[in-house]
Amino acid sequence: MSASLSRRRFLGLAGGAALALTPLGCGGGGAGGGGSFGQPPGNVPEQYRKRQRVVIWYTYGGANGEAFTRLVDKFNQSQTDIYLEAQFQGSYDETAQKLAAAIQARQVPELCIFSEVTWHKFHLNQALEPLNDYFGDGLQPSDYVDSLINEGTIKGQVWWVPFGRSTPLFYYNRDMFAQAGLPDRGPETWDELRSWAPALAKVKVNGQTPKLHVYPQTDGDWMFQGAVWQWGGNYSKGLDVTIDTGGAVEAGEWQRRLIHVDQQAYMAKSPRVDFSTGLVATVQESTGILRGLMKDAKFEVGAAFVPKQVAFGCPTGGGGISILAGAAPERKKAAFEFLKFAAKPENAAQWSIDTGYMPSTKAAQETPEMQKLFAENPNFKLAVEQLPKTQAQDQVRLLVPNANRAIYGGLQEIYADNKPAGEVFKRVADELRKGVEGVRELVEKHM
Amino acid sequence: MSARLRSLALHAVLVVVGVIAVGPLYWLFTSSLKTNSDIYTFPLVWWPSTLHWENFAEAWHAAPFGRFYVNSIVVTVVGTVLKVANAVLTAYAFVFLRFPFKRVLFMVVLGAMMVPGHVTLLPNYLTVSQLGWINTYQGIIIPGAASAFGTFLLRQHMLTLPGEVFDAARMDGAGHLRVLRSVVLPLSRPMLVTVTIVTLVAEWNDYIWPRIVTNTDTMRTLPVGLLMLKAQEGYVNWGAVMAATTFVVLPVLVVFFLAQRYVVAGLTQGAVKG
Repeated sequence: MSASLSRRRFLGLAGGAALALTPLGCGGGGAGGGGSFGQPPGNVPEQYRKRQRVVIWYTYGGANGEAFTRLVDKFNQSQTDIYLEAQFQGSYDETAQKLAAAIQARQVPELCIFSEVTWHKFHLNQALEPLNDYFGDGLQPSDYVDSLINEGTIKGQVWWVPFGRSTPLFYYNRDMFAQAGLPDRGPETWDELRSWAPALAKVKVNGQTPKLHVYPQTDGDWMFQGAVWQWGGNYSKGLDVTIDTGGAVEAGEWQRRLIHVDQQAYMAKSPRVDFSTGLVATVQESTGILRGLMKDAKFEVGAAFVPKQVAFGCPTGGGGISILAGAAPERKKAAFEFLKFAAKPENAAQWSIDTGYMPSTKAAQETPEMQKLFAENPNFKLAVEQLPKTQAQDQVRLLVPNANRAIYGGLQEIYADNKPAGEVFKRVADELRKGVEGVRELVEKHM
Repeated sequence: MSARLRSLALHAVLVVVGVIAVGPLYWLFTSSLKTNSDIYTFPLVWWPSTLHWENFAEAWHAAPFGRFYVNSIVVTVVGTVLKVANAVLTAYAFVFLRFPFKRVLFMVVLGAMMVPGHVTLLPNYLTVSQLGWINTYQGIIIPGAASAFGTFLLRQHMLTLPGEVFDAARMDGAGHLRVLRSVVLPLSRPMLVTVTIVTLVAEWNDYIWPRIVTNTDTMRTLPVGLLMLKAQEGYVNWGAVMAATTFVVLPVLVVFFLAQRYVVAGLTQGAVKG
């Protein structure tokens, strides 16, 4: 061997070095002493270096994302102690996955945006900070709209405050309705909507007659939550799964009949697109798209409460903010300052105006900007008027992991494959019941 | 008769394959110039009614694409160099060196190829986090720097090289690195080109790992940046998204056009024996 470092010696040294580094890879010893987690790395601009750094992970892209960063910038400019760094992390589900990994890595943001489904998982696993002790002069739970804050309150403790909440709304094409001789309003009941189908035959768009209604391919379980209530049923009563009986099955059968027997509806990848291009006359969609819809549609967009059947039923949706329990105490206090700021009437109103989400505080609804918006755009007012009639979703959809996938997978079979609702929901119910057993212990302990 | 018919049939198949391959790219480029009303209509609009160049401006300003480009280039170039170098050295060792447990170790390397990427996502994230490499270049590049796929391909190729050339070089007194540089690599050019191109494209398009490991726009790569143009609820400006996708696709296309001579030559070099 001519080289001074012979191959054998080199291998030996390398092996020793590898062994020495393994403790790094073997979990265990976390970063930071005591119980506090670290923060996720990021960037702090020069002028904010002296401030307390607080991180929020948010889920808003596109125009909503710009509105959010404006709000965060306004917060940073309004005071001199705290720098809030906003990091975009994708959709609600993607952000939740990343947060789960971050908790294991012991590097968490102080604040995070959760959907009405994802926050429960973190609450059950004790990752969230109880907020009652933080409320005080600047902000009280009662400042928020009652139904919205109640959804984030369990056993009297607030865990999740509303921010960017939405509900389904019934949209209809006013031009088409006028052409068909239909009244300029939403239907009172789904049966009434069905009775309007023959009148639509008079309407032609690009040579085709539009269909009456359209159902979503993914996430159909959110809209269908309203439907099961409207037919007098439930996904579950508490943790008792009831999707395979009563109103839920009847609602599924009614929708299946509209699609496959009456041929007046179908399943679409993007219902809002089909509606705005004139392929269907009506659609049920989130209040969050109202602004974009009115901008892009080439016709008058009408909005109405979601129709009844035997009863009225409307779920809420969208997201809210929670504080993570693992963060250091002084940073959690700083984080709450942002919650206070976002709940101020002018800020909550502006956020709502920019995005189309519902105003989350009572005072926001009363501000001059919101009143002006309501006057110019009665459709926006409608969503707010419907809000008091909404109710919290059935527990199985909120608490069982992947319950939403199970349900909308079943709906796809009804909408596209024409399978009877009873048969499909029986299978879904079995899957949900298994899921319930998985979380029952945690739920009974914490809820 | 049969020769002409065969030629005709072959051309027909080539046309079909060509359309299938180019079709999506054509749709991408034309859509990036369409307004929303052209995109959201049926029947399909094959050529935009007006050339809406604003989509590109809007896409560029929607997110810091300049920064994304820089990050993508750094990650791709460094990542590809590391991966290919690792693959070459490892393959060489497996073929030309003798050491105990060689077969077992090679089986372990093969086994690494069969582990689904998602299984290692969390452990890698925890390790990178403890090393303090979250949101850094090394955090994006290093965990993926060893390529079992490249090692496997190169090893298989090096096994086919004639032993006499290797022996001759060794008898002339060449050390292993010299043999690698002067004998093995030149003879392995086709496979090397293949592995480099595949690795380059995979690094450029890598989405899941960069997304998990980065927190801020300053470190994100192009595929991750595309995500920022889609709104959670509300309308998506597909024209701008298509324009942004063009940003991602164009460099790889340009590289291919510039290098296609080498790619084709490299891939066909070993095709005709003797």
